Amino acid sequence: MTEPATKRRIGVFICHCGGNISDVVDIEALRRSAATHDDVALATDSRFMCSNEGQGQLQKEIREKGLDGVVVACCTPKMYEDLFREKAEEAGMNPYLLEIANIREQCSYAHRHEPAKATAKAKLIVKAQVEKVRKLRPLEVKTAPIQPGVAVIGGGIAGIHASILLANLGHKVTLIEKSPTIGGNMARSVKTFPTDDCAMCTLSPKMNEAYNHRNIELLTYAEVRDAARSPGKWTLTVEKKPRYVTDACIGCDRCTERCPVSTAKSPIQVDSEWDQGLAKRKAIYIPFSQALPQLWTIDADHCFYFQRNRACRVCQMVCPAKAIDFTMKPETLTVDVGAVIVATGYKEYDPTPLAHLGYGRHPDILTQMQFARMMDAVGPTHGEIVRRSDGNPADTIVMVQCVGSRGAPGDPNVHEYCSRVCCMVAVKHAQLIKKARPETEVYILYNDLRAYGKGFEEYYARSMELGVKYVRGLPGKVHPHRGKLLVDVDDMLTGRRLGLPADLVVLSAALEPNPIDGLLASLHLDKTADGFVKEYHAKINPTETAVKGVFVAGCAQGPKDITDTISQAGAAAMSAAVFLGSGEMTLNPVVAEVDPALCRACDRCTEVCGFDAVHVDPERLIAIVDETACTGCGKCAVVCPTDAIAVRQFTKPQIVASIDALAPMAVAP
Amino acid sequence: MTFEPQVCAFACNWCGYSAADQAGAAKLEYPAGVKIVRLMCTGMMDPYYVLRAFERGFDGVLIIGCHIGSCHYGTGNVQARDEMARVSGVLNALGLGQGRLLVDAASASEGPRFAKLANEFVERVRKLGPSPLREVIAQ
Repeated sequence: MTEPATKRRIGVFICHCGGNISDVVDIEALRRSAATHDDVALATDSRFMCSNEGQGQLQKEIREKGLDGVVVACCTPKMYEDLFREKAEEAGMNPYLLEIANIREQCSYAHRHEPAKATAKAKLIVKAQVEKVRKLRPLEVKTAPIQPGVAVIGGGIAGIHASILLANLGHKVTLIEKSPTIGGNMARSVKTFPTDDCAMCTLSPKMNEAYNHRNIELLTYAEVRDAARSPGKWTLTVEKKPRYVTDACIGCDRCTERCPVSTAKSPIQVDSEWDQGLAKRKAIYIPFSQALPQLWTIDADHCFYFQRNRACRVCQMVCPAKAIDFTMKPETLTVDVGAVIVATGYKEYDPTPLAHLGYGRHPDILTQMQFARMMDAVGPTHGEIVRRSDGNPADTIVMVQCVGSRGAPGDPNVHEYCSRVCCMVAVKHAQLIKKARPETEVYILYNDLRAYGKGFEEYYARSMELGVKYVRGLPGKVHPHRGKLLVDVDDMLTGRRLGLPADLVVLSAALEPNPIDGLLASLHLDKTADGFVKEYHAKINPTETAVKGVFVAGCAQGPKDITDTISQAGAAAMSAAVFLGSGEMTLNPVVAEVDPALCRACDRCTEVCGFDAVHVDPERLIAIVDETACTGCGKCAVVCPTDAIAVRQFTKPQIVASIDALAPMAVAP
Repeated sequence: MTFEPQVCAFACNWCGYSAADQAGAAKLEYPAGVKIVRLMCTGMMDPYYVLRAFERGFDGVLIIGCHIGSCHYGTGNVQARDEMARVSGVLNALGLGQGRLLVDAASASEGPRFAKLANEFVERVRKLGPSPLREVIAQ
């Protein structure tokens, strides 16, 4: 961090910008002033520094005068700093020894009616940059090769779609899914709005494509346990849970038929994840008939063999393929990739804490995802819409919107955000009911009906034509009454209090992020206040993250419908492909650097770093900056008690040089 | 001679500095006494820079970063706000008062806001008069 003490040869190039600058600022006076500063070997001007002629002049002077520092006084550095640095480098000068003096946007434009003051200010701006350049050191741009390959974490529609796109581009993809099958929430959704397509009919071909793709390695029943970062490479530690069923499985289902778990007399009962608790499943099972891979899995947590001291081996006995292997152990794999896409999706909010809605206390109060299962022809009721309490047809169904969404800020039981899809899910389910049994009464109790997407408003209008009734207002209470559920609600549009007797109450529960705190910590990712993965920029960069080489797709980033998930997953795949395709990663040299002689290993820098980019080496007892992770924000430099850490180009002496040059009064040193 | 307040404005690369550029490009005017120092993030705004600016005769210090929640680096602007809250106590103790330091925000598209902040701050400092440190330095 020592500053160069030797004499420098700095060139100052002043641009007229056609007149944009020179009509206000006295260029000749500015040039004469610039020539007087220490270490300035040349002060010249040009009508347009950005023209070929101006660039040529810059390069010629660098070569002929042997310049080792340049100040271009022109427009904002946002315009041509990169260009001038590139030209300076071509001419043999270190590009980081060039600075822009912004005398257009921040001088001639802003003070165009005060030419004398503008000229005086321009002189100071140029001086400040000359003083800064005097303190600059040449920087070296390092590159790191990017490891080929990408890991996609999460095998829902987002992960599947991103994987297929990347694999089609020739990238080797490792698709990692924690459950026994890919497919995610979309597989459970039965139909999709606003087209009422069969969800599985559109999803299943993509599942198969991902499963069979020669560039995709699928790791199911597997979870990322750790991630280690080195320049251009992520090393993921993936644990494959034992299925206790080998690849010899032929999918005959005899094991499931004979498994005693969840039978009437069994002391072990397991809720089906696929059917959202509306049905039970066996301990050896396949989640659903189109699951991929077509491999059965033993759930050791609910299997008599594991839970009752090897009391049962029925599956092993009936298996014709000898595919049952109780001795299987968890397998730990190492996956080296250059990029990671987080596509861990969402789960449905559990409405139990909202006591007034009665969820969990009455079998006829369901969530929308549970209701979707009820409408599936291969679901727990074979598509019959019935009261779970007695199996009789449900004649009146009341849906409740914004359950767990759009809650009061600070209420720990609910989310403040809108879950975006629930309005259309309710509209979809209401229409499906009306189409299946037109005589059914369907009410949707809503707060605001958000039909914002392509075809959504028309879809909503169609539901009204079908006779779906909309009541503006959310229920105060849902309670059992004379064999039904009575839903008390104030209709905000008529001012009347209604008591709707319902056979089923369906709650449009919020979408919330899957619990992935461990993964986020391993990947150095943050969450936004809503708990979803923090994207690089919510508006203009929703697929990248603050961590280089890590991208986010689908509902992991925030609630979205399938259309938007596909779009965003495609964008995330593109971002990852661009990153991987470059082959090497350029490391920004304008990042923090530690002076080992001054560092006392106090850990203040590591505490404030938002990027996990600085760590104290426990043996050498000095802070070490990970230049692949550091973004150069400089928070560390402020908290460092010994000025041992600083961002290159923005060190304390460099910034102070600018302040002093701009200041109205000089102080004798 | 009329008093022209000299203001040292620290602006982050992503928001405050871009807002100043946008103000200029839109030909919005503010006094030439406002001198801008570009930082990558207000998170690198060391309290020492404030003291240094006053020590060199500036009459006010303006810090313009991103709005809270929009920092390019996450929370650099939060750190800046907290650090500057600490230094404002020091300014009081030095007899400079808190009015000569302002931490605010303007997004990259808020050129008008930058110009407004700059104009209002200069007027505020004009009312406060020249920095009392100026006389001390001159001696």
